[in-house]
Amino acid sequence: MRVRIAVAVAFLTTCGLAQTPPHNGPRPVDPGWHALTGAHVVLAPGRTVDDVTVVLRNGRIAAVDGGAVPAGATVIDCTGLWIYPGLIDAFVPTDVPALDPGATDRHWNPMIQPQRNALDGALVPADERAALRRLGFTTVACVPTGGILKGTSCVVQLDEPTATEPVGILRRAAYRLASLQTRRDGYPDSEMGAIALLRQTLADAEWYARCRATPGAAPRPQAALQALVDQQDLPLWFDVQDELQALRALRIAAEFRQQPVLVGSGMEFRRLAALAAAKAPIVVPLNLPETPDVSTAAAAERVSLRQLQSWEQAPTNSKRLLDAGIDIAWTTARLKDKKDLRARIRDAMHCGVTAEQALALLTTRPASLLGIGDQAGSLAAGKLANLVVATGELFAEGTEIRDVWVGGVRHEITPVEDRGLDGTWNWSTGRPTAGAEQALLTIDGDKVRCKVGDDELKATAVDREPDSVAFRLAGAALGADGVHWLRLYREGDDLAGVRTAPDGQDVAVRAQRAAASGDERTAGERAERGPPPSLDPLPTPLGGYGFVTPPAATEFVVAHATLWPCDGRGVIRGGSVYVRGGRIVYAGPDSGLPEVPDGVPVIDATGKHLTPGLIDCHSHTGISRGVNESGEAVTAEVRIEDVLDPDDVNWYRQLAGGVTTVNQLHGSANAIGGQSCTTKVRYGVQNPDDMHLAGAPAGIKWALGENPRRANSSGYNSRYPNTRMGVEALIRDRLAAATAYQREQSAYASLPPAERARRQPPRPDLELEALAEVLAGTRRIHCHSYRQDEIFMLCQIAREHGIRIGTFQHVLEGYKVADAIAENAIGASSFSDWWAYKFEVYDAIPDNGALMFEAGVCVSFNSDSNEHARRLNTEAGKAVKYGGLPPAEALCFVTRNPAIQLGIADRTGSLATGRDADLALWSDDPLSYAARCERTWVDGRLLFSLDDDRNARAAIARERQRLLQRAAAAPKGKSSRDDDTKDAYWAAEDLTEDYCCRDCAGGAR
Amino acid sequence: MSRRSTCLLFAALAGLVAAAPRSQDLLAKAPPQDRPVLLKNAVLHTVTGGVVLGGSLWFEHGRIGQVLPADTAPTLPTGVEPLVLDLAGKHVFPGLVSACTTLGLVEIGAVRQTNDLREVGETSPEATAAVALNPDSTAIPVARSNGVLTAGVFPDGGLLPGRASVIRLDGWTNADMTVRGAAGPVVAWPADSRSRRSRRGPDRGEAERSGDGDGDSATRKARRRIDDAFTAARAWLDARTADPTVALDVRHEALVDALRGEVPVFLLADEQEQIESAVRWATSRQLRAVVVGGRDAEACATLLRERNVPVIVNGVHRLPRRDDSAYDEAFTLPARLAAQGVRFCIGTGSDFSNDRNLPYHAATAAAFGLDRQRALRAITQDAAEILGVGDRLGSLAPGKEATLFVADGHPFDLTTHIELAFVQGRQVDLRNKQTELAEKYRERYRQLRGR
Repeated sequence: MRVRIAVAVAFLTTCGLAQTPPHNGPRPVDPGWHALTGAHVVLAPGRTVDDVTVVLRNGRIAAVDGGAVPAGATVIDCTGLWIYPGLIDAFVPTDVPALDPGATDRHWNPMIQPQRNALDGALVPADERAALRRLGFTTVACVPTGGILKGTSCVVQLDEPTATEPVGILRRAAYRLASLQTRRDGYPDSEMGAIALLRQTLADAEWYARCRATPGAAPRPQAALQALVDQQDLPLWFDVQDELQALRALRIAAEFRQQPVLVGSGMEFRRLAALAAAKAPIVVPLNLPETPDVSTAAAAERVSLRQLQSWEQAPTNSKRLLDAGIDIAWTTARLKDKKDLRARIRDAMHCGVTAEQALALLTTRPASLLGIGDQAGSLAAGKLANLVVATGELFAEGTEIRDVWVGGVRHEITPVEDRGLDGTWNWSTGRPTAGAEQALLTIDGDKVRCKVGDDELKATAVDREPDSVAFRLAGAALGADGVHWLRLYREGDDLAGVRTAPDGQDVAVRAQRAAASGDERTAGERAERGPPPSLDPLPTPLGGYGFVTPPAATEFVVAHATLWPCDGRGVIRGGSVYVRGGRIVYAGPDSGLPEVPDGVPVIDATGKHLTPGLIDCHSHTGISRGVNESGEAVTAEVRIEDVLDPDDVNWYRQLAGGVTTVNQLHGSANAIGGQSCTTKVRYGVQNPDDMHLAGAPAGIKWALGENPRRANSSGYNSRYPNTRMGVEALIRDRLAAATAYQREQSAYASLPPAERARRQPPRPDLELEALAEVLAGTRRIHCHSYRQDEIFMLCQIAREHGIRIGTFQHVLEGYKVADAIAENAIGASSFSDWWAYKFEVYDAIPDNGALMFEAGVCVSFNSDSNEHARRLNTEAGKAVKYGGLPPAEALCFVTRNPAIQLGIADRTGSLATGRDADLALWSDDPLSYAARCERTWVDGRLLFSLDDDRNARAAIARERQRLLQRAAAAPKGKSSRDDDTKDAYWAAEDLTEDYCCRDCAGGAR
Repeated sequence: MSRRSTCLLFAALAGLVAAAPRSQDLLAKAPPQDRPVLLKNAVLHTVTGGVVLGGSLWFEHGRIGQVLPADTAPTLPTGVEPLVLDLAGKHVFPGLVSACTTLGLVEIGAVRQTNDLREVGETSPEATAAVALNPDSTAIPVARSNGVLTAGVFPDGGLLPGRASVIRLDGWTNADMTVRGAAGPVVAWPADSRSRRSRRGPDRGEAERSGDGDGDSATRKARRRIDDAFTAARAWLDARTADPTVALDVRHEALVDALRGEVPVFLLADEQEQIESAVRWATSRQLRAVVVGGRDAEACATLLRERNVPVIVNGVHRLPRRDDSAYDEAFTLPARLAAQGVRFCIGTGSDFSNDRNLPYHAATAAAFGLDRQRALRAITQDAAEILGVGDRLGSLAPGKEATLFVADGHPFDLTTHIELAFVQGRQVDLRNKQTELAEKYRERYRQLRGR
C-alpha cells in the first residue's frame, strides 16, 4: 500500500516539478495530514460506513477505516456530517486558442484541429473553478471548444494553483472530441457537410497511418492527421445538439470503428430505444427546457404538443436512460446557471433516479468514462484526497456542503455560520422562583427584545459590542419590580453573563440559541413540484401523430375496389389486393382472388379506388439543418441519408396524401451536389436509418443553370461557376478527376499484396468515390435542369463518358429536347404546371410531361414542396388535362415511372404480386380533386387512416389542454422563443408556413 | 343553328386565330362585340339562379340580355343578325374571379426588373395596381385559358402597400382592362411579432422586418402607424373639404374612398389575434373591412358574422400552420366558414403564374366538405361581391357583363377544357404562349419522325 501511495504522489507532483520556480525565501512546509472523524462516510455509491476516520496525507487518502487517529494528524471533527467522494464532471468546455492560420501543416479546413489539447488553454478559470467546487466537484475533464474535430481533453483537479504548484493533472489526454458544427461562411455550412468532412478526415487518418507504417514513400507530415493517428486509442466523444445528431454520431463511430461516448442534449428520451440499441455511454446534461410561453391565449396556441411534451418529460430523461440500460454520467454542461445543478438532480430523483444512482452519475460513472477510476470517484486508501463534506445526504433538500477537499487541500464552502449574538435565545432568567415559563431573548444588532411568558419587556440602554451586549430591562416579570441590568458574553455557542437585579443582587444567566423554525423554502419547492411526470412509453416521433406501438404488417384484403395497378393493365373495376407479410400476394380482378384464410380482414372498398403508394421523385422533406451544402461548388461527398429527420410532421401529412416513397434530394446550389436518399415514409420508426429503402440504387443530385451559378442570390458571387459555361467545365473537370482517381485506386488494388505493402496507398476521397460510382453506372444522377441547352450539354457529357443519366429534374424545357432525354436518361421528373418564377422557366409549359411522354421519355411529376407533396395524384391528373394522356398512364407519373427512375420498380410503384404492400385507398378517382386519401399502407402497415387521424386529433386536443394548464401553473412561465434554446429543444418544431421550397429551395439559402 | 353551322363557326374562329402571330402576348386583343350572341341548349351554371339544363342565354354590347330555361324562346334584339351557338352537351359558367393575385404586375418572379409590386416605404396607399398593369403580360392569357376572366390585383409590401384593382383579363390598354381601378386600400395588419417564424405572407409585419428588439411594442407601433395614416387622411379630407386651397396629398387622397365607406379596406391577416384586432380596428373607424388570408377566420367567426366582414380565403392548397394542426386544416377552412355563416370567397394564395389553378382550390374545398355549388360561387359571385363588383360580374344574370366561358365539363374537373370565353361579350383567344410553344415543339417531333 505504501508503495502505491508513493507512486501516486510522485505522479501528481512530478507534473509540476519541472516547472517549479525557486522559492522566494524559506520553503513553507504544510504537513498536509488530516484526520476527519465521526462522519457518516459514503465510500462509493451504495457503500456507506460509520465510525471510520478518513485520514488524508500528501494529497491522498491514507486510510478510511476504524483505526486510531494517527498521532500528528490534524483532527477535524465531522460528527453529524456526511463525507462523499468528490464529484467529477467529464465535460467542461474551456477556451483553447485556435491554431495559427498561417501554420504550414495546418489542415485546409479550420474546423479540423485535432492537434489541440485543452492544456493549451487556460483550463477552468478561477471563478468557474470556485463555482464548481461549491457544487462539490473536485475533478473535471476540460475540453476545447470550436470546430468539428476539436482536440483532446485533459483531466484536472479543481485545486488552486500556487506560486510553486500548478493545477494537478490526472490525464493529459482522456478523449478526443468531435461535433457536427457548421460554419456560416464556408464549408461545411450544413450538417451533412460537417458529417462528410468528419468522415473524410477520419478516412484520411486511417490512410495516413497506413502510409506512415509503410516504409518508403510516406506522405508529407500533416499535424492534424498525425495527431489523429497518435490519439487513435483514445475514445471519440461527440458533443451533440439533439438525439438525432446522437444517432448520426454513432453511425460515424461505427463506420470508423471508434468507441463513442455522446455528450447529449437532455432530450435523449425522444429516441430512447434507438439509443439503447447502440449501447454507447452518454454524458447527460441536466438542463431543462424553459416552460413554454403560455402567457396569452395566442402564445399558448403557438406552442406545439411536442414542445409541451418535451418540456414535461425532460426531467424523466435520466430515469428513462437508466431504465433502458444505458451507461450515463451527468455533466453541468449546458446548464445556463450551474447553481441549478442540485435542483435539477432533485428533479431527476423526483422522477425515480435513486440517490445512489445520482451519486454514481457524478462520481464512479464519469471516473470510469475518463479512465481515472483508480484515482477518483470513490473513497479508498491510495486514491486522491478528493472529498465532499456535507451536512446531510448530498442531494437532499436543505443539505449544505461544508467543505470540499481537492487533493488533500480543504476548501471551505459553507463555514459554520457565525451569527454572532444575533438571533433568538432561550434563557434562564435566573429568577429565584424560576418556573417553567419560557423566556426568549431576541437580539438584532442593537435592538433587544425580551419576552417572559406573555410579558414583553422593553430593553433600553443597549450597549452592543461584537461579543457582548449590555442592556436594561424593567418589569416584575423578572421577579422583582424595577430596573435590571444585564450583561451577556459569548461563551462557546451560548451566552453567559450576569443580571443585576433591582435589589443589587447579581444573578448568573445563561442562554442557548433557540432552534430555527422549519425550512419554508423547502416545503415550497416540494409543493411546486407536484406529482412526477408519467414514465409510460412515449410515442415516436414525440408529438401528436407518433406511434407508441408502430402498426404491424398485418394480413388483409382490399376487395371490390377500382384498381389502378400501374403495370400496363389499365384500370380494373372490381379488383382486389391481398396483402401478407408486408407484400402483395395478389392484385387483380375480384374473380381471381386466391383462397384467403378465415379471419383475415377483408376491407370492402366498393366505390373506392386503390392505387400503389405514390412516389415523390423530388423531395426535401425531413432533412436536418441544411438542404444545400453550399460551401463548395462540388459536394458529392455529402449524403442526405446522414441527416434524415424522421420527426418531421410533413411525413405524416404526405402519408395523408397517399405518398409512401420519396427521393430525398440535396438542394441545387451546386453543379455537383450531394448524394440522395431513397426513403420509404415509414413514419414512426425508432431509428431514422430504417426509413432508407435498403437496396435502392444510389443517387446524387446535380444542378445546372441559375442555381449553381448563384444567379438569384443577392450580392457578388465569387464562387465558380458563374455561367453555364463554367458549370459544364466544372463537371467535365470533376469527372476527369474521378476517372484518374478510379484508375489509381484500381491499379493499387490489383497489385500483389507484397507490392502493396511497399507502396503508399492512394488517398481515399469521398467526393471522387461518389463520382467514380457515377462513372461506373452504380450511382444515378438526378440533375436539376431547366433550359434545353443545359439539358443537351449534360446529355453530351453523359454520352462521352458512357453513362446513362438517372433523371433530369424539373426539366421544364425538356419538351424541346425530349429525344435527347429519351436517349441519354432513364427519365425526366417535372412539375406539372409551374413556370415564370425565374427567367430560366419562362418557357415552361404544362404540356411538358405529355410531350416528353410522347417522345418516349419515362416521365414523372414531383412536388419539391411539402405542400404539393400531398397532392401528387392531382398533379398527375394535369397530364390528362394538358396533353390528353390516358388516365392510367398519367397516374404512372407518380407511381411506376418514378419507381423506374429510382430503380425500385421491382419493389414498389405498382400493384403486382411480390411488390411491397405500399398502397393508397381513395374515395374517388385519384386523378380528380374530388378524391380524398382514406388509408395509406407502407410495407403492409397502416400508417394513415381517416379513423386514426380523427382519434389523433381528439387526443391532441386533450393532451394539449392538460399540458397547457400545467405550463400555466408552472412557476416562471418564461418564453421559450430565445433562439439559443430553440435549437437544442425544438429543432424539429416550426410553425409551418405556406413557404414553398419548390425549385430545391432555390439558389439562395 | 344546326350542328354543322356551329362547327363552321368554330372553324371560322380557329382560322382567324391561326393567322395570328405565334405567341399570345403578341396577339391581337378581342374586338368589341358587334352583334348579339345567343348560346343555346347549354347547361347554364348561373351561380345566382341555379343550374339551367338546356337553357339559353344571349348578350349584346357586352351585357347579358336574358337567361332562359329550356324551350323558352329568347327575345333577341332586332336589327343585327345574331351569332347563334348551339352548345348541346356544353356548360356555360360566369368567368372565374381570382380575388387576390399579382397578375399583370410581375412577369418573372425572380427578375427584379419585371416586378412592380412593392413601392418604397411602409405606407404607400397611393400606389394603384391598375396603373402598372402590363396588358401584354404572358401570364394573363395563361390564366384566362382555364376560365379566369376577372382578377383582383394586389400590390405588396409595407403596411399600406397600395390600392387593389379589379381587372378583366383582356384589353388593349390598362383602361380597357380596368373594372375598378381603386377597389380599396390594402392594409398589411401586423401580426403579433411572436409569430415571427412565419417566413412570408401577409402576417409578416413591420416588427419582424425591422428586427426591432421588443417585438410586441414593434407590433403596436406598426399598428399605430396604420391608424395614424387614416387619422391624417381624415384630417386632410376635412380641411380640404372646408378649404379647397389645401394642397393635394396623394397619399391621403388614396384613402378617401375608404374613409367614405365607398370601398373596403383589404386587411391582410391570417392569425386569430391579427384578424380580431384588424377587424375591431377597421370597424371602429367605420371602415368596411375585408379580411384577406383568413387562416384562423373560423375562430373569429362570431366577430366576422356580427360585423358582416367577409374573408378572402387566400389559398386552399396550404400547409397546416402548426405541427399539431389537422393535415387538412386549409382544405376544410371554407367548409368550416360556411358552417359558421361567415361570408367568404376563395383565392389561390399564390402568385400571378398560378391563377389558372383557381378552380382546383375550390374543388379541393368541395372535396373537403364545402357544398359544390357554394364552392363555385366562392370563385365567382362571392369573389366579385367582396371585390365590390358583384353587381357587374360573377354570375349569369340579365344586366351583368357578358364575361363567361363555355366548357365541356365542370371547371373543378381536371379533364375539363375551356372551349370559348367572352370578356364583355368579346370573344377572347384561349391560346397563350404555352399552347403555342407546345404546338411549335410538336412540330419538331413531327419533323423528326418524318426524317
